[in-house]
Amino acid sequence: MSQQPRITLGGRALVFEPGETLLDVATRNGVEIPTLCHDPRLKPVGACRTCLVEIEGWQRLAPACATQAQAGMVVASENERIDRHRKSLLALYMTDHPQEEEPAKSGTPNQLLAMVTEFEAASDWGRLSQKRAGRPGDRNPYIHYDADSCILCARCTRYCDEIEGVSAIALAGRGSETTISTADELSLLDTTCEICGGCIDVCPTGAMAEKMPLVQEARPDLQLETVRTTCNYCGVGCQIDLNVDRAGEDGHGRIVKVTSPEPGTTTNDGNLCVKGRFAYEFVHHGDRLTTPLVRGKDGELHDASWEDALRIAADGLMGVRERHGADGLGFVSSSRCTGEENYLVQKVARAVFGTNNVHQCAAT
Amino acid sequence: MTDERDAKHALPRALQQAGGMREGVPRRVAEEIGVPEAHAHGVGTFFHMLARPEARLRVCTGLSCRMAGGDRVLKAAQEAGMPVEGVSCLAGCDVAPAVLRERRVLPDVRAQDVEEAKGDWQALMSRGGLSEESWCGHVWPERPDAEGLALDLHGAIDLDGTALRRAEEIGPERVIAAIEESGLQGRGGAGFPAHIKWKGVRSQAETRRYVVLNADEGEPGTFKDRELLVRRPDRVIEGLVIAARAVGAEAIWLYLRGEFEVPWRVLEETLEAFRGAGLLDGLEFHLHAGQGAYICGEETALLEALEGKRGMPRHKPPFPTEVGLWGKPTLIHNVETIACVPGIVMRGGAWFRGLGREEPGSKLYCVSGHVARPGTYELPLGVTLDELVEKAGGYVGELFAFSPGGASSGFLPASERGRPLDFKSLSEAGTMLGSAGVVVLNDSYPLREAVLDQLRFFEAESCGQCAPCRIGTYFLRDALERRLSAEANQTDALRNVSEASWQMNEGSICGLGQAAPLPLTSALKHFPEEFGGPEAAS
Ligand code: SF4
Ligand code: SF4
Ligand code: SF4
Ligand code: FES
Repeated sequence: MSQQPRITLGGRALVFEPGETLLDVATRNGVEIPTLCHDPRLKPVGACRTCLVEIEGWQRLAPACATQAQAGMVVASENERIDRHRKSLLALYMTDHPQEEEPAKSGTPNQLLAMVTEFEAASDWGRLSQKRAGRPGDRNPYIHYDADSCILCARCTRYCDEIEGVSAIALAGRGSETTISTADELSLLDTTCEICGGCIDVCPTGAMAEKMPLVQEARPDLQLETVRTTCNYCGVGCQIDLNVDRAGEDGHGRIVKVTSPEPGTTTNDGNLCVKGRFAYEFVHHGDRLTTPLVRGKDGELHDASWEDALRIAADGLMGVRERHGADGLGFVSSSRCTGEENYLVQKVARAVFGTNNVHQCAAT
Repeated sequence: MTDERDAKHALPRALQQAGGMREGVPRRVAEEIGVPEAHAHGVGTFFHMLARPEARLRVCTGLSCRMAGGDRVLKAAQEAGMPVEGVSCLAGCDVAPAVLRERRVLPDVRAQDVEEAKGDWQALMSRGGLSEESWCGHVWPERPDAEGLALDLHGAIDLDGTALRRAEEIGPERVIAAIEESGLQGRGGAGFPAHIKWKGVRSQAETRRYVVLNADEGEPGTFKDRELLVRRPDRVIEGLVIAARAVGAEAIWLYLRGEFEVPWRVLEETLEAFRGAGLLDGLEFHLHAGQGAYICGEETALLEALEGKRGMPRHKPPFPTEVGLWGKPTLIHNVETIACVPGIVMRGGAWFRGLGREEPGSKLYCVSGHVARPGTYELPLGVTLDELVEKAGGYVGELFAFSPGGASSGFLPASERGRPLDFKSLSEAGTMLGSAGVVVLNDSYPLREAVLDQLRFFEAESCGQCAPCRIGTYFLRDALERRLSAEANQTDALRNVSEASWQMNEGSICGLGQAAPLPLTSALKHFPEEFGGPEAAS
């Protein structure tokens, strides 16, 4: 018999590693427990109360996300008491939440509403007037905080603290006036915020949402297709998911927003930076180059083939070297280049042209 | 660094010194202390004395103060154009209505006092006969009772450290054995056996340990800690020192209600005297001023606040005895519990045990509302309401209902007047002794209003961390207000109240949310006719 400690969950004996929470054990074994404030990357706070389970010998229900497994624990994640708990908790949430069925403007599914449907909770307990202050004057162009649909799960603030290490936003106020705010309610632009958009990504209700017009205009019922690709803004190589409206751009497809793959699946672990997440409009921009251009004798730019363009560039560079010597040249590579590309740039500079004048714009 | 060398714990005080949450303050203070700006904002907006620095006067809206005409005082101050707001219980229920002027509680303020101040908030004084410098409420017994009582509020302050010497003589093991024998239960509300905590802390492998004093008294109806701190600071300090030495702690943190300006001063002076006599050697004392949040009376919220954060309760387990202040083993006690310790050490556990009836010890009962002499009464644990009120000069009018232990205990009908006021007997009646803040009501103050007062209190004081309490306290208050409004179509306003209450009790993280429905549910149970009959809340 194995020495590994076990708990009993829903009648099954399940082994666990020391330090694992009940939710960890459940998830690993395919037992579903609803959660809203949980994010595996963040320290648990047990604030949303959706994951409460019953532990034999404990008088009170306990949050699976914040309770460590202990050998011999007998845990129930489904029974009458838990069902009643879920239903009444969700009904209470709904008195303080917009009841519209459609997903939030961000196009993100609202996990709270989905849960209300799943557990057949009442949504007719009345509607309290919402007391959380938003920041309507925040002039940052990317992130909108819709206080009405915020459930104060604190995923956004914990993400900002624990993952980004930026702490631009925090829980503010108290009681039913608790909200998410910045110092002095400043615009995110005037705080330490790096506009990484992680707060949008972790928000379960769409209360943290994108301001980008494309997302705002996207019809709620739009079936977006995700296309996995590599962000080409820098050499880190973050994986990104382009959320594409296939019918957009006259059938060419339109990127409506960019999201990160699930945490734990790619090296960027669910994170993105401002460029990868928000700077995608160039893709559909009218001025975007689709073919190389070469300036002709007439001073104008003309379409050219890659072969011609590269040859003309090479000739020009060789000409400079002949006239001014190798050190008349300098090479600066783009911060979009990967490590390998940068290696090649310095190789070109040193081996082909014979100069050490080489730099990378992200090196300072 | 995650201990007191971490400057973050000074954040609330720094915000206070910078004048509270005015524009620019959180950013400036954040830079000084070295915390993120948003965190300074989050902390500053959590505590009401920091959040609204423009209010210089705060009129208590607690039940006892409202019964004594606090509303009229508030209204008069508003009409006089003073910078005033209503505030949760100020621990002055016996000298109601109480008003906070900056950080000084003024007892017994009348609308007439407000008029006489002629619009100048700084000139507001109580003319009720109590000096604002050293005011004390009425206490029982009325003279020193050195033989019979654990706390002896009228006793002379003893700066000789007699109990400290005794504790040193017998050593930590025997001190803890005496505490165990005494049967001392936590006097803050939970009634948890003290010796289990002491042993718990003492047995930890971690040697950096703390003793914390919970002097954030804020439960409506309760003011005994205020009285103890002013009258017997010696007992409090001796108790802390004995506890620290017994559990092997070198640092003692005192969390005092920020509104307790007078007790703070008394305590500091007494500490100085003890220090001068060489009785505090090897111990650090840190005084922390609360900034206005009832929830910080919850021990883990208090620890968070001591660390300079928003006072949001932690999950238990782990308990503070294992993972407390800065994650270190921490013994945390209410003022009254710790003040019982010197007596136990001097006279032994059996003596203390014998002071009570079914449960051990004498107990400070606070009584306010419709009685002749509101005040703090030290009596055997387990007296009945009638016995208590007899000492307090009798009922004013006919007893209608009472609240046995603060807002969190709900209401009981007059028929329960003979029930022993102790932990077990009250919990059997579906309520609790809590902080033993007894509020007595005759029928001149409508019970529905009393319930509404308590619901407003919980709504204002919920920390907002967890949904059942944050939304539930708001939901219940709103439902009752609609029920009591004149509009006839609000007859089904209480429709989901019992299910919401069940949820708050099951789902909330801490005792605040769990107990918050009790004023309403107990009143619906015992006084259904007040709310339009038993079917109103079905
Ligand atoms: S965008 Fe990033 S840095 Fe800014 S608030 Fe959101 S999580 Fe924090
Ligand atoms: S904005 Fe979203 S992530 Fe942040 S607390 Fe509100 S619901 Fe949670
Ligand atoms: S029950 Fe209320 S006071 Fe306690 S943690 Fe939850 S919200 Fe805060
Ligand atoms: S997921 Fe456990 S309390 Fe929110």
